[in-house]
Amino acid sequence: MSRAGHGAALEAPPRRSAARTGSAVALLAGALLLALATPVTGEYTQQVGFRMLEYAALGQAWNLLGGYGGLVSLGSAAFIGIGAYTTAELTNHGLPLLPGMIVSGAFAALFAALVSPALFRLRGLYFTIGTLALAEALRLFMVNYNGLGGNIGIFLTSAAPTTAGLYRLALGVAAAATGLVALLLRTRLSLALRAVRDDEDVARQLGLVSFRTKLLAFTLAAFLMGVVGGLQAGKLSQIEPYGSFGLQWTVDVVTVVLIGGLGTIGGPLLGAVFTVALAEWLNAYPSLHLAITGAIVIVVVRFAPRGLWGLLADGWARLRPERAPP
Amino acid sequence: MTALLEVSGLTRRFGGVIAVDRLDLRVASGETLGVIGPNGAGKSTLVGLLAGALRPDGGRIVLAGRDVTGLRAPARARLGIGRTHQVPRPFRRMTVLENLLLGQVYGARTRGMAAARREGMAILERTGLADVAGEPAGSLPLLRLKRLELARALALRPRLLLLDEIGAGLIESELPELIELIRSLRAEVESVLVIEHVVEVIQACADRVAVLDWGRRLVEGTPAEVLRDPEVAAVYLGTTAVGPRAAGGGGAAHSEPAERSGPRAQPPPRPRPAEPAASRTRPVALALPPAEPLLRVEEVAVRYGAVRALQGVSIEVRRGEIVTLLGANGAGKTTAARAISGMVPLAAGEVRYAGERIDGCRPDRIAGLGIAHCLEGRHIFADLTVRENLELGGRNAPDRAELRRRLASVHELFPMLAERGGHSGALLSGGQQQMLAIGRALMAAPELVIFDEISLGLAPVVVDRLYQALAEVNRRGVAMLVIEQNVERGLALADRAYVLEKGRVALHGPPAAIRTDPRLLALYVGTAGME
Repeated sequence: MSRAGHGAALEAPPRRSAARTGSAVALLAGALLLALATPVTGEYTQQVGFRMLEYAALGQAWNLLGGYGGLVSLGSAAFIGIGAYTTAELTNHGLPLLPGMIVSGAFAALFAALVSPALFRLRGLYFTIGTLALAEALRLFMVNYNGLGGNIGIFLTSAAPTTAGLYRLALGVAAAATGLVALLLRTRLSLALRAVRDDEDVARQLGLVSFRTKLLAFTLAAFLMGVVGGLQAGKLSQIEPYGSFGLQWTVDVVTVVLIGGLGTIGGPLLGAVFTVALAEWLNAYPSLHLAITGAIVIVVVRFAPRGLWGLLADGWARLRPERAPP
Repeated sequence: MTALLEVSGLTRRFGGVIAVDRLDLRVASGETLGVIGPNGAGKSTLVGLLAGALRPDGGRIVLAGRDVTGLRAPARARLGIGRTHQVPRPFRRMTVLENLLLGQVYGARTRGMAAARREGMAILERTGLADVAGEPAGSLPLLRLKRLELARALALRPRLLLLDEIGAGLIESELPELIELIRSLRAEVESVLVIEHVVEVIQACADRVAVLDWGRRLVEGTPAEVLRDPEVAAVYLGTTAVGPRAAGGGGAAHSEPAERSGPRAQPPPRPRPAEPAASRTRPVALALPPAEPLLRVEEVAVRYGAVRALQGVSIEVRRGEIVTLLGANGAGKTTAARAISGMVPLAAGEVRYAGERIDGCRPDRIAGLGIAHCLEGRHIFADLTVRENLELGGRNAPDRAELRRRLASVHELFPMLAERGGHSGALLSGGQQQMLAIGRALMAAPELVIFDEISLGLAPVVVDRLYQALAEVNRRGVAMLVIEQNVERGLALADRAYVLEKGRVALHGPPAAIRTDPRLLALYVGTAGME
C-alpha cells in the first residue's frame, strides 16, 4: 500500500471541536450581554426572548440525541409534559420554581431511563415511531387519568414570577444547556454518539457498549426537556395535558434544529431565534405561518443540510480563504 | 504451540440454510491461519460469529483459554478480537482519524485523547491513509475504505485479527504491498485469521490453510499442501466426484452414478441426461441469419472508482443459446450482467440487443425490450405472497389472460410455486426462493434471461433441480446467459462458455474445449495449484 502524504503526516489534523468550543464561548458571552440588557428591554421583547430561549434549550437537548447520536426522537412532548406537571405539583406544595424545575428534569430523566430498555430495542425509523407512540400514549393517559386533574389539568396557586424574572431564568437554562452539550462534545462521548449514528453494529465491534451511550444521551436530553417543561409551567397559571403534552412541542423542536443546523452547537440557537421571530412576524396569519415554516424546512433540508449555522460557517470560511481547508 | 482461539462444533443457521455447520477450528498463538473456500462456504459468517456480531446456534468459542461464546460484541472487542468487513462499513460522517479513535478509546482503552490521536496517526501512516486523516470517511473510494477497515481493526490493538477479503478488488501490482503489510502485523498481533480469494496472499502470509465448504472444514494443511489437494480443486471448480457433497446430494435420481476417478476424467452428469442432442434443435435459431446475435457485448469496460471491474469484454449470445459466464470471485461476472441490463454505466464499449444499442438505456427500458435479469441474491419481495411476486414479474403482460397463461407455464415448471401461492415470499426456503426468483424473471416472457449465481448457498440436489428447469426453459426457445461459480455445472449446461479473469475474457469457446484447457484450473485457484 502506498505511503502517500509523509512529511507533516504525523501531525494530527486540526481539532474541529476546538473551533466548536470557541463558538460556544462566544455564544455564552452573548447570552451574558442579553442578561445585562434585560432592564432596558420592554415586556414584549422579554416574552419573545423567553420563547426563543426555551426553544434554544430544547433544541440543544434534541440535537444531542438526534443530531449527534442519530436517535431521532418524536417524543419530546412527553418529557416537557412530565416537567410541567412535576413543577406545577411541586410549586403548589411550596417549592420555589428553580428547584422545582431541577427536580422536574430529574423526574423526566428517570422516566426516560425506565422506558429506554424497550425503546432501544428499536432502531432507526422504528425508534422514532416508538418515541412518538410513547408520547401520544402518555398524553392520552394524562387526559383520562383523573389523579392529576384529567383533561382540565392543574391550576398553579403560587405567585407567578415577573416576565423579567422568567426571561432571566430562561436565559440561564439556555446557557446551561448549550454549555453542557458543548462540554460533553469535548469528551469521548462525542465519538461514541457519532459512531452510533453512523453504524451502531460496527461501533459495538470496536468495544463500545452502545446501550450506555444511548442511555446517557437519552436521559440527558430528557432532563433538559423536563427542566424547560418546568420553566413553561412557571409562566402559566394553569397547565392541561393538551398543551403540555401536545405534539406541537415535538414538531417545533425538530423544526428549530433542522432550520438552525443538525449536529452543530450553534444551530439550535439560530434556529430558535429564526423560527420564533418568524412566528411573531406572521402572528396574524397562523395558517400562512405553518405553510411558510414547512416550505423553509424543506428548502433547508434539501439545499443546506447543515442549516443556517452551516451556511454561516461556510461563509466565514470563505471570508478567510488562507485558513480554509484545501 | 498453545491455542489462542479454539472453536468447536460452531453452528449457525439462516432460516433453512446452514451457513456454518459444526465447525472445529484452532488458531495457534503466533500463527496466521488462512481460510479459503467457495462462495457461500460460510467464511464471512465465521468472522461474524467470532467477533460476536452474530450469535451462534451451537458450539463453543474459546479465546486464550476463556469461553467467550456468551459474550457480546463489545466485550469480545475489549478482549482483543478485531475484524474487518468484506464490504467496508466506515463511520461515514466521521473523519478517517476519528474512525480509529473510537476503537482506541473504548476498545483498547487508550488513556487520553492526545495519546490516542498520536497512535491513530501512526496506524494511518502505516496503512497509507495519513494524507486523508482529516477527511470524512464517506468521501473515500472503495480501496481506501478497505485500508480503513484494516486500520480501524488495528486501532483496537487486537490479539486476534480477523481479515475478511481485504485483497478483493486490488489489482495485481498492489498485492505485494498488501502481503508486506499483513506480514508486518506479526510483530504486534498475536494471531491472524485471513479469509482471502486471492491465492497469492494466502500463499505468502498463511502458516496453515483451512478450506471451508458448506460451512464445514474440508482440508487443512500448509498452503502448498492444500493448494495441491485434488479435493480443494474440486471444491473450487465444482468437480464434486470426491468430497462429502457428492455423497450427500449428488446421488439424485436423474444423474448417472457419479463414479469418476478424477476431477476431469470424463464429462460430469448433465442436468438433462435424458435429452439427446437432436432434440435441442431450435427452429427459431435456424430461421435467423447466423451473423446477427441476439446480444452482442463489445469491448465493454466498467469502473468502480479506481477499480477496473471490466476491461475490453466482448460476449455474444445467439437466439435460443445458453452461454455461461465463469470465473473466480471478483472476476467481473456480476458486473458484466449488470452492465448488460443497464444497472451500471459503461466506461467504454457498447451493448447491442437484437441489433439495437441498449447501453445507456435505463434498466426498466432494457427489461421492456425482453431481457430479464435474475439477480444474485434472489431479491424476493418479502412482504408479498409468492403469487404476487410472480404477478409483479409479469406486469408487462397485455391482459389478464396472458398473465394467467404465463403463470400456468411457470407453475408447470415449478409446481411448488402453485402450492405455496398464498404464502409470504419470506417463508420459503433458500431453494424455493431461488425458484421464485427464476419464475418471476420468466413471467416477463423474456427472449433472453440473465441468471446470476442461482446455485449460491444451495444444496446440490436443489441446484440439480434448478438446472433441469433452466434446460426446460431453454427448450421453449429462451436464450440465457448463466453466471456460475461452479465450473462443471456451468459447462454441462452451456452451448458456449466464457471465462473471466480480473475483468477480462481469459477463455471462450465450446464447453469441451474449455473443460480440457489447462489454463482453467490456473485461473480458478491461481498458478500454485498447478505446480
